[in-house]
Amino acid sequence: MVLQESISTAIDSIRANLLRSLLTTIAIVIGTASVIAMVGIGSSAQRAIDDSITNLSARTLSVYPSRGRGSQKISAAPLSISDADALIKDQEINWRVSPEIRGSKSLKYKNESISISVIGARESYLSIQGYEIDQGAFFTERDDLARKRVAIIGSSVGTELKTSSKALVGEEVDLGGVTFKIIGVAKSEGSSGWSNPDEQIYIPLLTASDRVFGRDRVDSIRVEVPNTYTPEEAMISIERVLRREHDIGPGEENNFRINDWSQFTDLQKQATAIFSALLIGIAGISLMVGGIGVMNIMLVSVTERTREIGLRKALGATHQAILLQFIIEAVTLCIIGGIIGVIFGSSLYFLVTVFQDWVFTIPFSAILGSVIFSACVGLFFGIWPARKAAQLEPAVALRYE
Amino acid sequence: MNVIQVKDLTKHYSLGTQTVEALRGVSFGIEQGEFIAIMGPSGSGKSTLMNIIGCLDSPTDGTYHLNNQEVSTLEGDELAGIRNKEIGFVFQNFHLLARNSALDNVMLPLKYAGVDKEGQLKRAKNALSQVGLESRMDHQPSELSGGQQQRVAIARALVNNPSILFADEPTGNLDSQTGHDVMQLFHNLHQQGQTIILITHENEVAAEAQRTIFIKDGLIESDIRKEKL
Ligand SMILES: Nc1ncnc2c1ncn2[C@@H]1O[C@H](COP(=O)(O)OP(=O)(O)OP(=O)(O)O)[C@@H](O)[C@H]1O
Ligand SMILES: [Mg+2]
Repeated sequence: MVLQESISTAIDSIRANLLRSLLTTIAIVIGTASVIAMVGIGSSAQRAIDDSITNLSARTLSVYPSRGRGSQKISAAPLSISDADALIKDQEINWRVSPEIRGSKSLKYKNESISISVIGARESYLSIQGYEIDQGAFFTERDDLARKRVAIIGSSVGTELKTSSKALVGEEVDLGGVTFKIIGVAKSEGSSGWSNPDEQIYIPLLTASDRVFGRDRVDSIRVEVPNTYTPEEAMISIERVLRREHDIGPGEENNFRINDWSQFTDLQKQATAIFSALLIGIAGISLMVGGIGVMNIMLVSVTERTREIGLRKALGATHQAILLQFIIEAVTLCIIGGIIGVIFGSSLYFLVTVFQDWVFTIPFSAILGSVIFSACVGLFFGIWPARKAAQLEPAVALRYE
Repeated sequence: MNVIQVKDLTKHYSLGTQTVEALRGVSFGIEQGEFIAIMGPSGSGKSTLMNIIGCLDSPTDGTYHLNNQEVSTLEGDELAGIRNKEIGFVFQNFHLLARNSALDNVMLPLKYAGVDKEGQLKRAKNALSQVGLESRMDHQPSELSGGQQQRVAIARALVNNPSILFADEPTGNLDSQTGHDVMQLFHNLHQQGQTIILITHENEVAAEAQRTIFIKDGLIESDIRKEKL
């Protein structure tokens, strides 16, 4: 009997028990839906990460002093403002350099006092960080050179001082015993995980160095590199300048370290990969469960249709014809489940892309792959019931009540 | 030449420790074009005999020649091929596929015979018109009366031009009027030269046949030929 005939017989009998058939395929539906949603969400998330690397992270390098890790060769050599100046003077790459002095001080206004994270920085800090000013203005290069006592506060500092940030503009505050004038408020940025820019206060670098912290050691130097250079090229240049500044001879180790943010995103990539591997595993298990469900329902179907099988054999159906009929029925059931799963999975994924503002891209290979895999599940779990059907003795099957 | 020649057929069923001897040595021959009724009390072995000469089952012992071919030693797909080409079955409870139209039901043996779609349609329509149901070919069994369903089953049995038509109590589920119509159909088929073997309990049904074989306890009790008028 031709294949087409078996397929239409299979579809007929699935339709005859439509509800039961659809319930049977639920696990298959869940399995394929999660594969499709995972592959889609995974690839969109990857794309979003890639985009953020090219947007920001990969172009911004941070230089830190080496932590004394017991290696005696590395003398404790802090990063200083002059290191930053040397980087600025170096013209090989037209990077932007932003040294930072950080520390914690108490901030007093009227009768309120809080502990606050202070950032002493250059006037370029704001744009390198991608922050914006809400009220007033950021300090200028002249403010910095004149070591002026002016400050910009994060948007939620005002409320911590029992007033509003807006009301503080133009007011004088006491920062670690030094009187500062608030000249601006930064727009709210939200917490970035390890620090919250909204709860910080920004002052000119030289003011921080001379009047507040009394040191010209900086905590970090951010270097923003134009897109035309790779992070590796930028690293080599930074190394060259700083090794010269720190008098490091050939063969000696760096006494500073350069963070490339792409290392961080590599980790993130790894985490996503592990996450999706886990979910694919779960999807695999649910496909197996689905297969067993299909096998169960096929066994029920074979029993219910014993007389039909007997009749078909009486009319001349061969072993193979019956085998094929029931295998195709199981495979068709699983393919239908797979297709419903693809539809559910891509709808779910579509919703996620809408909420996350991601690009919707499902690789066609994923769709084809998961439907083919469902078909294989049907084939594998359909063989046993189909063999049972094909092995029925016609005379016995016809008498079955 | 005999279409069917059986000799010393026995069939034993073993049920655990017990053995049921359904047939205990049956021998007879059937000629081309004969119309035979098999009668006997319930449990005497009629259906068992039909299963064996209908190639649905193999005998425990004895020989069976169908069209001069020894078939008692064949199995599986070889028997399926013989059932498909040489034998047409009509059952007491019709055995139609409930979700298929009358036409599809009649086409089924042709599908297993590997006949092309066009040939299937032509021959199935032809068989349906032979039983007077051409106008009902798109109806499903549930939309047909019992007599009509049995006629569809007869069309299905005839569609592959079998050497023998077997009917196991074909009127058992029908009222007397419809039963009579169905017997008329068998009568006409016999007139056209069809070999027919029919199992029945009813004397009026058996009266249509030329020859009646009585079976009792797995043995032939009598084999009576009516004189031709
Ligand atoms: N598959 C089987 N397994 C065991 N015993 C069987 C089987 N088929 C038939 N028998 C037994 O063989 C004997 C003959 O059965 P068979 O069905 O041939 O009788 P029958 O003459 O057709 O009866 P009825 O007129 O009631 O249809 C019975 O005793 C029956 O119980
Ligand atoms: Mg019987």
